Amino acid sequence: MVEEVKAGANAVLAAEPASGAQKPGGSAKEAGGEAQVSIGVLKEIEPRERRVAATPASVGRLVKMGLAVILESGAGASAGFEDAAYAEAGARIVPKAADVFREADVITKVRPPGAHPETGEHEADQVRAGQKLISFLWPAQNKELVERLAKRKATVLAMDAVPRITRAQKLDALSAMANVNGYRAVIEAASHYGRLLGGQVTAAGRIKPAQVFIIGAGVAGLAAIGAARALGAMVKAFDTRPVVREQVTSMGAEFVPFEFQGETGEGQGGYAKEVSEAYLAAEQQLIAEHCRTSDIVISTALIPGKKAPELITSGAVVGMHRGSVIVDLAAEQGGNCALTERDRTVERYGVTIVGHTDLTSRMARQASELYAMTIVNLLDEIMGKKKTWELSLDDEIQRGMLVLLDGELKWPPPRPEIRGGAPAPAPKPPAHAHQKPEVPESPWPGRIGTALALAFLAPVGLFGSQELVQHLTVFLLACVVGWHLVWNVTPALHTPLMSVTNAISGIILIGGMLLAANGGGGGAPVAALLGAVAVLLASINVAGGFLVTQRMLRMFRK
Amino acid sequence: MRITLVNVAYLVASLLFVLSLRGLSAQQTARRGNLLGTLGMLLAVAVTLGALVAPENKALAAGPSDLGLLAAAIGVGAVIGAVLAARVAMTSMPELVAVLHSFVGAAAALVGIGSEMNGVRAGGAPEVAHHVEIHAGVFIGAITFTGSVIAFLKLRGTIGSKPLVLPARHALNASMVFACIFLAVAAFRGGEAVRVPYLLVSTGVAGVLGAHLVLAIGGGDMPVVVSLLNSYSGWAASAAGFMLGNDLLIVTGALVGSSGAILSYIMCKAMNRSIWNVVFAGFGEQGGAVPAAKKGEPAKKVNETNIDGAADLLLGAKNVIVVPGYGMAVAQAQHAVKEITTLLERRGTKARYAIHPVAGRLPGHMNVLLAEANVSYEAVKEMEEINEDFEETDVVIVIGANDIVNPSALDDPESPIYGMPVLEVWKAGRVIMLKRGMAAGYAGVDNPLCYLDNTLMLFGDAKASVQKLLNAISARAEQQAA
Repeated sequence: MVEEVKAGANAVLAAEPASGAQKPGGSAKEAGGEAQVSIGVLKEIEPRERRVAATPASVGRLVKMGLAVILESGAGASAGFEDAAYAEAGARIVPKAADVFREADVITKVRPPGAHPETGEHEADQVRAGQKLISFLWPAQNKELVERLAKRKATVLAMDAVPRITRAQKLDALSAMANVNGYRAVIEAASHYGRLLGGQVTAAGRIKPAQVFIIGAGVAGLAAIGAARALGAMVKAFDTRPVVREQVTSMGAEFVPFEFQGETGEGQGGYAKEVSEAYLAAEQQLIAEHCRTSDIVISTALIPGKKAPELITSGAVVGMHRGSVIVDLAAEQGGNCALTERDRTVERYGVTIVGHTDLTSRMARQASELYAMTIVNLLDEIMGKKKTWELSLDDEIQRGMLVLLDGELKWPPPRPEIRGGAPAPAPKPPAHAHQKPEVPESPWPGRIGTALALAFLAPVGLFGSQELVQHLTVFLLACVVGWHLVWNVTPALHTPLMSVTNAISGIILIGGMLLAANGGGGGAPVAALLGAVAVLLASINVAGGFLVTQRMLRMFRK
Repeated sequence: MRITLVNVAYLVASLLFVLSLRGLSAQQTARRGNLLGTLGMLLAVAVTLGALVAPENKALAAGPSDLGLLAAAIGVGAVIGAVLAARVAMTSMPELVAVLHSFVGAAAALVGIGSEMNGVRAGGAPEVAHHVEIHAGVFIGAITFTGSVIAFLKLRGTIGSKPLVLPARHALNASMVFACIFLAVAAFRGGEAVRVPYLLVSTGVAGVLGAHLVLAIGGGDMPVVVSLLNSYSGWAASAAGFMLGNDLLIVTGALVGSSGAILSYIMCKAMNRSIWNVVFAGFGEQGGAVPAAKKGEPAKKVNETNIDGAADLLLGAKNVIVVPGYGMAVAQAQHAVKEITTLLERRGTKARYAIHPVAGRLPGHMNVLLAEANVSYEAVKEMEEINEDFEETDVVIVIGANDIVNPSALDDPESPIYGMPVLEVWKAGRVIMLKRGMAAGYAGVDNPLCYLDNTLMLFGDAKASVQKLLNAISARAEQQAA
C-alpha cells in the first residue's frame, strides 16, 4: 500500500514538467526520452489469429493525438488492411517485429505475448525495460507469462481487466469482442443448419421459423439474440441471473428464467458465478428440456477465471433433433457442452457441434476495428492532452488494468472499498464532479415525530397504568411489524392485499362480541344491542372480505 | 377456559394474521395467505365464544339470550358477507371494499359508545386513559364510517367525483377536531349524566369531519383514499382493543393500520405526490384556473377514426400495447379486450398490457380485471417495465383511460397533475383512444394527447366499441386466412 501511494505521487510529479512546455521525459518515470511517444503495432504470431491492434483509421486518430505509430509490416494483412493504407494514415512501417520492440515506447497487440511458432522466440523476452505493453493478458491464467514480463521490468496493461463501470465502457474490449463473437456464432450456426431461419409461407410449402436457444445472456448472448432475431428466428434465452430478463426481452427474445432454492447465479461485477452441484443438475435439466425443442443452441456461459460450466450434457445432445446445431462459445474455457471439441466442428448423434475459438478472428476486419478503437480510447485516457505517458494510479480504470509497473506486480488491484492502513486518500472531486449532490432529506419530519412521540409517551410513563403501558408496548411493536410487512408487495396484488387487510380489520368483531355478551354481566342493555349490531356489521366484513379475496386470487394465473 | 389459554390462542391468531399479510405480497403465496388469515379469524372468534360460554369465573358466563343474539348476528352477517362477495362484479370491487371499510368504522364506533354506556352504568369516575381511549376510538371509527360511505358513493358515481372545496375548509376541519377534543374534556368533567350524550355529539361531529375530508378529495385520488380508509379501519380496531383491554384487537388493528399506511404511501409515491398533498390539497383545486385560461383558444382539432380504421391499424401492427383504464372497468370490456389481443397474438403480433399504478379506482384494479379475463400476468406490465417500450410500439390502444396517459403531467407545470409519472403512449407510432366523448378525465384536466397528430379518437361506449372492434378484426383475420 505504501509503495503504491509513493508511486502515485511520482506519477503526479511526472505531470508537472510536462505541463509547462513540450518537454516530456523530464522525470525518471519517462523512459521514452523522445519528443513524441511512439506506439508500436505487432503482427500477431498465433497461427489462427487474424485480428490486429490497429487499423488505418485508428492510426489516423493516434497521429492526430500527436503520437507516432510504428507498425510491423503485414500486421493488418489478415484483417484486410494493407501496409500502404497504414502508411497513408501516418504510420511508419518497419520490416520486423524486432524493429518495433526496439523503437516503440508502447507495444500494442491483441493476444497475450507468446512464443513464435517458427522461430520459437518469445515475444515477452523482446520487451525492453520500462517499455509498455497493452494487450489481452488474462493474468490470472497466465502467471508464468506475467513473471516473464516482470523480469523484463515492463509496464503491462491488460485489456481484459477493464473495470465494469460506466466510464470505462469505451475501453471495454471484452464486450466489443463478445458482441462480434455472438453475432458470428449465429452466422456459424446458420451456415451449418441447412435451412432458413425465418418463417415463410411459399408456394412450395411452409417454412417454419428456426427455434434458437441462447444460454447465457451476457454481451455475446445478447448479440446472438439480436442476430438470430434479425434472421427471423424465434429466440429464447436462458440466464441464471434474473436481472438480465429485461435485457433479454428488450432484444425481442423470450426469457427462460431459472430459480433454485433462492440461489441465483449473479456474481460480483455483473458476471455469473460458480454454483452448487444440485443447482447445476437442475440447470442442466432445464437446459436439456429447452434444447429438445430448439434447432440451434448457442451457449455463452463463462465464469471469470474458471473452467466453463458443463450445461449441455451429452443426454441433452441426444435429445435434440437431427440436423440441429450447437455453437459453443465457451470452447476455449473447456466448453459448455460435454461433447464440444476445441477448435473443431464435429457431428454427434446427428447434431453439429461447433467448438471453434477463433470466431472473432473470422470477423477479423470488424473485430480489429473495434479493438483498435478501445486501444485508442485507452491511450487517450492515459496520455490525455499532454501527449506523454502518465499512468494515474488513482484512476479506477488505469489502476484496474495495470498488471505490472516497471516489473513490479500490481495485479490484482485493491478492491476499491478496502483502503488498508494507508491514510485516507484526499477527496478527488473531478471524477464525479458531474454528479448532482443529493438533496439531504429534511431532518424536520423526523424531529417533529420524535418530539410528538416523547410528548405522548412521557405522560403515559408518568401517569399511565401498568396495563396501559403493556398495551402500548404491544401496539407499537405490532405497528413496526405491519410497517415492514407490505413494502415489497407487487402492485398487481394491491387490491387483494387491501381486501384481506380489510377482512382482518373485521377483528373488531371480537370487540362487539365482548360488548354484546357483557350485557348479561351487568352492562347496559342498549350497549349489548349496540354490540350485537357491531358484530353483525363486522361479520359481513369478515366473511365478505375473505371470500372476495379468495375469488380474486383464484383468477390470478400465470 | 383459562384466560391464559385464551390469550395464547389470540397470540396464535395474531401470528396467523402476520403470515397472512406477508403471504399476500407475492403471487405464489397469496392464496395461502388468504387461507391463513381466514384461519386466524375463525380461531379468534371460536376462542372468544368459548371464553364467553365458559369463562374462568363461572359467574360471568354469558346468558343464553345473549349468546343467541350473538350467534344470530354472526350468522346473518356472515351470510350477507358471503352473498356480497359472491355477487359483486369484479368491476365493482372498489365500491365493495369501501363499503366494507365503513362497516368496520361503524362497528368500532358502536363498540366505543357501548362500552361508555357500560362504564356509566357501572358507576364511578372514569380513568383518564380509558376515557381518552374511548373518545379516540369513537372518533376514528366515525371518521372511517362516514369517510368510507362517501368514498363508496363517489365510486358508485352517486355523487360527483369533483372535489368539494369549501372556503376555509382547513379551518373547518381543525375546528371540528377541536370540538371533539373539547367534548371529550367536557364529558370527563361533566359527570355521568353528560358522558354518553357528549360522546354521541362528538361521534356526530367526527362523522361530519370524515365525510367532509373525503368529499374534498377528487375522484382521481380515490385509490389512495380507499387505502387510507383501510388504514383507519385498522386504527379504529386497535383503539377498540385499548378500551376493552384486548391485545388481539390492538395487535391486529395496528398491523392493518400500519400496513395500510404503507400501501397508501407506496401509491402516493407512484403518483409523485405526498400523502398530505392528497388528503389536504384537493385534487384539481388549482386545476380550475387552467381550462378557464384556455377557453379563449380556438377549438383544437382531433383526428377521428372508425372501427374499420382501428381494426386495420391493429392488424397491421407488429407490436401492440393496450392501456386499460377505469372506462374499461365500467364497460366490463376486459373479456372482449382479451379476445382482441388473443387474436392479434395468434397472428404473431406482440400484444401486451401496460398498467399504471393508479389506473382504475383501486390499486391493482386493472390487474384484477385482466386476471378475471384470463390474461396471463406475464403479458401485463407495470409502468416502469414498459414505459421505455412505447417508442418501439406500432399501436397503443387506450381504453377508457385519460389522466394516466396525459402528456401535460410531464411538460406542463400549470397542470394539476404535473409531476405524476404517466404512461408515455404518445411515443408510439399510433395511439387509438377509445373515449365516450371529449369530456375531461376524472381529474377534470384536459388531455392534449387527444389533439396529437398520431392520436386517433374512436368515440363511443367502450364496451360497444371494443366488441365491434373484435368482430371487425376476427372477420378480417378469417378473410385473410381464407
